[in-house]
Amino acid sequence: MNSSTDNNGLMKRFSGNILSYRESLFHAMDDALSINPHVVIMGQGVADHKGLFGTTLNLSSKYGTDRVFETPLAEEAMAGIALGASLNGLYPINTHLRVDFALCCMNQIVNLIAKYKYMSGGRFECPMLIRMVIGRSWGQGAQHSQSLQSFFSHVPGLMVLMPSRADSILNDYPYIINSYRGPVISIEHRLLYDVKFNIEQDSEYSSDKPLSSHLIRKGNDITIVATSIMVLEALRAAQYLLKNAGIECEVIDLNCVSHPDKEMIMNSVNKTGKLIIADTSWQAYGVCAEVCRIVCENSPNSLKAPVMTLGMQPATCPTAKTLEDYFYPNLQTLTDAIARIVCGKANHGIPLPDEHSMSDVYKKFKGPF
Amino acid sequence: MKFDNLYEELFYKSLRIRLIEKKIIELYPTDKIQSPVHLSIGQEAVAVGVCQELKTTDLIFPNYRGHAYYLARGGNLKEFFAEIYGKRTGCCRGKGGSMHLAGPEIGFMGASAIVASTIPHAVGAAMAARKLKKDQIIIAVFGDGATDEGVYHESLNFASLHKLPVIFVCENNDLAVHTHTSTRQAYKIFEHAAVYGLPTHYCEEGYDIIKVHEAFSPLVAEARITKLPQYIEIKTCRYLEHVGVNEDYDAGYRSVSEIEEWKRKDPLIIEKELIDKYQTTILAEIEDAVMFAENSPWPLLEDLLTDVI
Ligand SMILES: Cc1ncc(C[n+]2csc(CCOP(=O)(O)OP(=O)(O)O)c2C)c(N)n1
Ligand SMILES: [Mg+2]
Repeated sequence: MNSSTDNNGLMKRFSGNILSYRESLFHAMDDALSINPHVVIMGQGVADHKGLFGTTLNLSSKYGTDRVFETPLAEEAMAGIALGASLNGLYPINTHLRVDFALCCMNQIVNLIAKYKYMSGGRFECPMLIRMVIGRSWGQGAQHSQSLQSFFSHVPGLMVLMPSRADSILNDYPYIINSYRGPVISIEHRLLYDVKFNIEQDSEYSSDKPLSSHLIRKGNDITIVATSIMVLEALRAAQYLLKNAGIECEVIDLNCVSHPDKEMIMNSVNKTGKLIIADTSWQAYGVCAEVCRIVCENSPNSLKAPVMTLGMQPATCPTAKTLEDYFYPNLQTLTDAIARIVCGKANHGIPLPDEHSMSDVYKKFKGPF
Repeated sequence: MKFDNLYEELFYKSLRIRLIEKKIIELYPTDKIQSPVHLSIGQEAVAVGVCQELKTTDLIFPNYRGHAYYLARGGNLKEFFAEIYGKRTGCCRGKGGSMHLAGPEIGFMGASAIVASTIPHAVGAAMAARKLKKDQIIIAVFGDGATDEGVYHESLNFASLHKLPVIFVCENNDLAVHTHTSTRQAYKIFEHAAVYGLPTHYCEEGYDIIKVHEAFSPLVAEARITKLPQYIEIKTCRYLEHVGVNEDYDAGYRSVSEIEEWKRKDPLIIEKELIDKYQTTILAEIEDAVMFAENSPWPLLEDLLTDVI
């Protein structure tokens, strides 16, 4: 079903505006509650004075605590309750302040929610949205920083999304909530919450392809496949390299991590012959590995150079700022990696952006959360 | 089918379940049922007593030991056998099997082989019933072992806190696989459940269909009016091994005399006259259903990747 046209009210409403990721999430939640009487939002902090980082702020007073409510600290039961509610006619939006906390309901997500339709031979469906937030920076440390998209994408039965922009949220959330009939996990990035985006109705994000990947920058020299916040880094690197070295990067926002647009990736790699994958997580067994699999299985000969991947270092996330800076990829490491592949050597001679750490925008992030 | 009295009706339903599962025992060595089966033999009265006063619109969330509930709720016997045979005509198109029966048409909301995992589903369905103002009672069925799990406690808390129309039914056969409750639990099940602030009940005579019915029907009546959560623990006895079709008394983990005591009181063993009265009809129905399963097609390659997402 092509329903983005039925669900693009938000895109239309905000077209021409500048909206933060946070605001777009808020509008998506508000809109869902107002359009769809079966929607309930349940999670820790959704009805408090901070309203899940502002994305559900005051919605419980607007729509009633019956529809937007605080839950006990009981992640597994709440995921199961969401499933049961979905089977009996509600559309639950279950939220997690951090991806890490959702590990407490992996049983329900992996053993039940992902499998409910299949093991009943299609007799049951459980449409629902599970939102979880990746933390990064300002001492998030080992257990508030994980980016576990590959865990969820690994399991058949789940649709896993990583919106990188406000428009992605405005385009996909209404479709997911009002038209899509299965469980969706959306992994949002905390550092994107305050980033502002121009909403354009005819952008790649408002295409008629909800839950898919987006080709957001054209170029002939190299393909960058990126997720979440790394999409922004990829765009910045692409801009920098065009200006400083005349390198033209093609950028694909993977967006739908569990079901990426393979054709889009292959078309691009066939054209550029060079590929770099920039993910928010560890490389091994994750998005980086998966995109490599797609290319290797479809057209290994398309590659004119070895693939490079960027992600978190293979360690637990450290808390100290100095270590954390080494832990994550950044504009500099990404730019360097692109230059190496395109030039075919490590001493490519292209000056690197001196900004070592995060961009101006999200460097502003001050915790605690 | 018409019955002279309630007892005969309940007896007939229980006997039917027992004979169906006995058929499974008979068929098992042929290897036509290629999957684990958790039989309810010895526990039928609980399922029948619990389901008797339910309406089709009420929902039940069972577990892997779920044949009895599927059948007590009026599940299609042909689709049942076809499912455990792994046939395309099964109630889950062959994708579920014995441990994952599903019957939305009879309010049988899907069985899971992860202990305790469907308890929160019942609570969630009850939450939906309340919010959508549905005139429904929701039943969660689970074993004594399920009460070891954290999600059980989380679910009771939420149901009680939000006053949801769910009845929790604990089938206490005193065993989780081969391990007794006394080895696993520092609490008494129904007494402990009361700490969550919901009314709890206990039925000691789980072999007695009338007693179970008498214990459970007031809960259903109450739930129709108050729509509040309730709890009942029903003592019962699993006659066979945990999974599979054999007795395993020689394994030494349970007392044979205890099982024999249950059997001495089991109407499905001692009521010879009633057994004779009904078994021919039931056996014919079973043969018919088994033939249906035998003659049904297998799922095909084209079915493998449907209903994934
Ligand atoms: C989460 C989980 N742990 C362990 C098992 C293995 N297992 C299957 S049934 C069972 C016993 C459950 O006992 P109880 O809840 O009393 O139900 P009963 O089998 O007695 O009906 C166990 C431990 C499982 N299926 N799921
Ligand atoms: Mg037990």
